[in-house]
Amino acid sequence: MAAFDYRQAREIRDVFRSCHVRYLFLGKSGAILLGYPDTTQDADLFVERSPKNGEALVRALRQLGFALTEAQAGEINRGKDFVQLKNGPFDLDLIFAPDGIERFEDAWSRRVEVEGFPVCHIDDIIASKAATNRQKDRESLPRLRSFRQYWLQHHRGSKEP
Amino acid sequence: MESASQESPAIPPEWLEEFEAAARRPLKTRLRYAFIQTYKPVLDDAPFRAFASMEEYRRWCETNLPDWLGYGRV
Repeated sequence: MAAFDYRQAREIRDVFRSCHVRYLFLGKSGAILLGYPDTTQDADLFVERSPKNGEALVRALRQLGFALTEAQAGEINRGKDFVQLKNGPFDLDLIFAPDGIERFEDAWSRRVEVEGFPVCHIDDIIASKAATNRQKDRESLPRLRSFRQYWLQHHRGSKEP
Repeated sequence: MESASQESPAIPPEWLEEFEAAARRPLKTRLRYAFIQTYKPVLDDAPFRAFASMEEYRRWCETNLPDWLGYGRV
């Protein structure tokens, strides 16, 4: 499978918008959208957990080319905390209850729009990475925190949580 | 939650240079440089996985993935 690219990111944005999916880019893919220079393999999406959004999400994923069985669609609909998709045109992680972020609504109110992409605020990205307490996240946190400083200096209009 | 009022150490010059270079690139270019595809054993071997809780997912990672992938908790 080829690496995720700009065209696919735009497809997510456009298809999710047309299907009215409420979601935010989170994790390293979110940070990269904000301007953080680093590498990653997949896109992490923080998705609002609600029956209506679950149905919209399944519709959008199928439109994007993810081959979901009825059972898999049901698991997404019911809003499992974490779903890993590798059965489509690119790898996608769906996170319904990320560590370190209390409610979708809170993150939504702090979101940043980058060329139409809804992205978690850098503070939410850091909070979720810090809360996982994983080796790979711990290693990336000092540089991410430095990026936060840089980003806040250059995005004065962005809301401070 | 991070706070801007916390005393922040200076950004290391080499990182600052990287942030500034990235800021000069259009989003399309940034994404082209950022996303890579490498095989991750076990993790990449199933087309679909769903976990009822993040705790279940973290435990699954610790039990099933090689340590060197870095998914284990500290």
